[in-house]
Amino acid sequence: MGKRKLAALEKVDADLVSLQYKIRRDPKSYAQEFYDQWLAYDAQRQIFISSPSTASTDDLKKFHDLVDLIAHVADLYPDLTGAYPDHLKELLNQHHAVLHPELREKVVGSLVLLRRKDVIDSTSLLTTLFPILISTPSKTLRSLLYAKIISDLRESNSKSTNHRLNRTIQTVLHNLVTSDRTSTKGMWATRITRELWRRQVWSDAKPCDVMKEACLGDNEKVVVGGVKFFLGGDKSREEFEDESSGDDVDLKRVKHQSGINKKSKKRQKAYEKAIDKVKKQDRKKSAPHPLNFSALHLLHDPQGFAEQLFQKHLQNTKNKFSLDNKLLILQLVTRLVGLHKLTIISLYSWFVRFLTPKQAQVTSFLASLAQATHDLVPPDAIEPLVVKIANEFVSEASASEVAAAGINSIREIAIRQPLCMTETLLQDLVLYQRSKDKGVVMAAKGLQSLYREVYPELLQKKYRGKEATMGLRSGETRQRKFGEEDVGGIEGIELLEQYKEEQKAKKLAEQEGLPEGDEGKKKLDDEDDDGFHSDEWEVGSTDSESSGGWIDVESDGEDDVPAKKRQKTGSEAPQLVDGDKENVVAEANGISTLAMTSILTPADLLKLQELRREARVDQALGNRSKRKKELIDRHIDEGVTAEDIELPATLGKKSTKEERVALAKDGKPGRDEHKSTQAIRKSKKEAEGKSSTNKEKARKKNFLMTVGKARAKTKRSLTDTTKALRQHVARSKNGGRRRNDAPP
Amino acid sequence: MGSSNRKKKEKKKDFHKAKLKVGKANAKAANFTDTSFKSKSINVNQQTLEGDGSDSVEQFKQTLTTAATAKPDNLRRDALSYITTQVSAKPPNNPVGTASVLTKLLPLISDVSISVRAHLLRLFRVLPPSEVRPHVEKMLMYIRGGMTHLSADIRSDTLNAMEWLLDVAGDEVVSCPGGWLKTLNSFSSMLGWNPSVGSAMNSQGWTSGSKSTLGTKKGPEAQARQIQVLARFLQAGFQPETVAPYNPKAYWDNIYRLPATANPFAYLNLFGAPRDEDNEMYPDRISRQRVFDAKWRSSIVGGMEGAKKEGGTVGRAAALLDKALRGGLRDSAPLPAR
Repeated sequence: MGKRKLAALEKVDADLVSLQYKIRRDPKSYAQEFYDQWLAYDAQRQIFISSPSTASTDDLKKFHDLVDLIAHVADLYPDLTGAYPDHLKELLNQHHAVLHPELREKVVGSLVLLRRKDVIDSTSLLTTLFPILISTPSKTLRSLLYAKIISDLRESNSKSTNHRLNRTIQTVLHNLVTSDRTSTKGMWATRITRELWRRQVWSDAKPCDVMKEACLGDNEKVVVGGVKFFLGGDKSREEFEDESSGDDVDLKRVKHQSGINKKSKKRQKAYEKAIDKVKKQDRKKSAPHPLNFSALHLLHDPQGFAEQLFQKHLQNTKNKFSLDNKLLILQLVTRLVGLHKLTIISLYSWFVRFLTPKQAQVTSFLASLAQATHDLVPPDAIEPLVVKIANEFVSEASASEVAAAGINSIREIAIRQPLCMTETLLQDLVLYQRSKDKGVVMAAKGLQSLYREVYPELLQKKYRGKEATMGLRSGETRQRKFGEEDVGGIEGIELLEQYKEEQKAKKLAEQEGLPEGDEGKKKLDDEDDDGFHSDEWEVGSTDSESSGGWIDVESDGEDDVPAKKRQKTGSEAPQLVDGDKENVVAEANGISTLAMTSILTPADLLKLQELRREARVDQALGNRSKRKKELIDRHIDEGVTAEDIELPATLGKKSTKEERVALAKDGKPGRDEHKSTQAIRKSKKEAEGKSSTNKEKARKKNFLMTVGKARAKTKRSLTDTTKALRQHVARSKNGGRRRNDAPP
Repeated sequence: MGSSNRKKKEKKKDFHKAKLKVGKANAKAANFTDTSFKSKSINVNQQTLEGDGSDSVEQFKQTLTTAATAKPDNLRRDALSYITTQVSAKPPNNPVGTASVLTKLLPLISDVSISVRAHLLRLFRVLPPSEVRPHVEKMLMYIRGGMTHLSADIRSDTLNAMEWLLDVAGDEVVSCPGGWLKTLNSFSSMLGWNPSVGSAMNSQGWTSGSKSTLGTKKGPEAQARQIQVLARFLQAGFQPETVAPYNPKAYWDNIYRLPATANPFAYLNLFGAPRDEDNEMYPDRISRQRVFDAKWRSSIVGGMEGAKKEGGTVGRAAALLDKALRGGLRDSAPLPAR
């Protein structure tokens, strides 16, 4: 039987892809054709639904294609296809377990497509996909649904935050976690929340609440998911931000290429796109940093949360979580305690059991203990722990690593609560700087230098050092009592005051034509009351007339704490170090009166910021002790890790040969086989798509091609040689290039 | 120049003897086979089918599968003709039953090959009608799918299958769930007499011809045929029920005997999904007439009038349809005057 010839129109029509194309071009004219396919779809759907599990591959294929077609053009015929989204949802809900994988994927994809075409809204899409995500046994379907859910949430939050949708989904997730605390289904809630937090789609308190509930669940996986979120969610968010801004385009290179390559619309477009991207990145760089609170700060009722977490997972002896996971939970609890200065007294007595060198991962426990200490913890609660650490870890008989870790952890605790130490114990520990092991020595010295600053009375006189002794004598270094807080103030206000006075003196000196000196100062004091200069308004608006009177009143009432903006302390360093010179000066003279007597203008604040920065640079250059710098550098948000505790033990240890070899190899080209450096360079060049350098080409040039020139060179006359040399010099002056118009 | 040089060199390389080096492994031979992989299963590319014909049941099943799934048209066609001869033999040799044959072969209604479709129809015709009747609903689904297929050839061939089905099970066709309204919907869409498309697009547009006659070579014939089959369908739907002779035992049979028909309580729809208007059963003539009046009468009559004016084969077919309508709706309401 010969092949039957098809009519041209029929041949083209007989495929759904071209029909789809035509429908999209001209929906009105092809309404009838679409309706035919809609009916065919309906028939296929019924065939499929009558026996979903035993449908033949032929039927599946047809159904798949029709679903695809209709999803692509459904937005053009809203009246005819009104029931279509419901069909798909029903199909997915009822038969997702038996659907053929390809068809299943197509149905999910079609639903997402309908969402993109705004035929259905996000809420209905997500509420369809979500129950399937948590109930389906198929891994591929789960990963598909997860990806689609995340991308849809991102998409609908891309232009502006879709609060309504977010609220709905967050409520769904919250219910999922709280409804059945023993099931693993809560995993999906934690995964979705974590991903959206990482992408900064969600950054408010509600997702933190979901994670909080996850932490308080009974299922180990869910709990760990929640705990990891609090411990590492913010870090991963920052990393993700860095990553996404990292892929910048080399504009110079693109420009260069566009000058060389053939000009085409595509290349032009690519160039414009690159420029756009660079501009966008520049804008992003100059834009103010979005205010993102860390998850730990957004927690509602941290005290209750930490207590519950501690009681449920740690104190409860029936809990069967693995040690690693328990440590994670412990880290979270102690982080919360340290960050929010919570009080959980039973936590410290709970620690006692674990503070022996034989305990697995004991450094993590020590780090957690240090983390859980803050200046509002009663010293009575910590003292026994410090004594226990000293007894168990620090002795001549114990291994040097153990002793170093013990002393270091005591130091970490003492940084946060110096009152936890007794005199005899400290003096005993400080004596370990006579040890033979470098790690132990360093740890003991660290402890000593800490106490030189915070509580020198506890040290023996010979270990106090010069500064601490002098400070003690002059009364500058002073022991703080339990619970004592710094009096708040504006940081660096005295710098501003000083600056202003200097400026005033300068102005006066200029006006009077007098050199700046004693006389000028006197004048300044005299004139201080009556005169203000018009240009001073730019910097400060000191109402000097009233200022004199006010000063008297304020300086009399020492205990009267002025109402002013609270200093933002706590984020920088614990406030136990108050040996700052400025503070002492301020305290001696009474607190700076500038902020009480005048209103600071924006210009003032700018200047203040600048002065503060300068002061900090000064301190960083060496006017400040190492300890304080360390305290400032360490952000309280980061917490203490086991590595911090183990650090001194690694000092003075010789590295192994492998480590040294790895260190030497670092940053050098890889040599899988024996090869010369030249060959490696060449292969690298080739991998980049480049051939060879000009130098290499010159070197490889055929001898016969160069020999003529070389021979001619030897036969040149003197003038020719001079000319050539002159040209060479001239060439090197203007860029080393031969121009077309250059004389031969 | 450079590249051709390189190519020359590469060509030459084939004829050089490989240099052996101390401390290095020998070069792999050209026909070296890598056997270092592991696999859980082995796929054999070619397989032989062992069919010595001794087991006729197995052979029948094998052929059935071939007919349903084989890629080449010829194989499918030959398998179909084999099944046809087996089923039409005296006594018929059908070890798997009509139901399985239908389930396997129904998707072939919209097969791409014209000869396969022809052979399928031939096979349908030799199937025993009494065994086809219980499966009418399923067959109608495929037929409706074929009636609105993209390809005009498949559409017209599906009409043949429809005609056959009306012959063997006309009553069941019009009374099964979805059999009446959905099939009418497909017919009107096929003919382009559909009211819902125009309303969906908000405007009728000025080029809304009956699209079926456009483009195809035998347009008028195809349309005439569609109208003819529609007329037959309507005839089947409006056929007056034969009054069963009085049976004194019917009352008691109804109560105590097992029903003789398949799925006698289908109209209750106890187990299926809830049906909408289109999917509903219209088991008797009165209900069919009523719903036809409400939904389809105006558009079909309108389309018919247009077709009549066309004259020729289409006109003649339209006259047939007119007759069927008049006969069917005689007792419901008067048709509009000509």
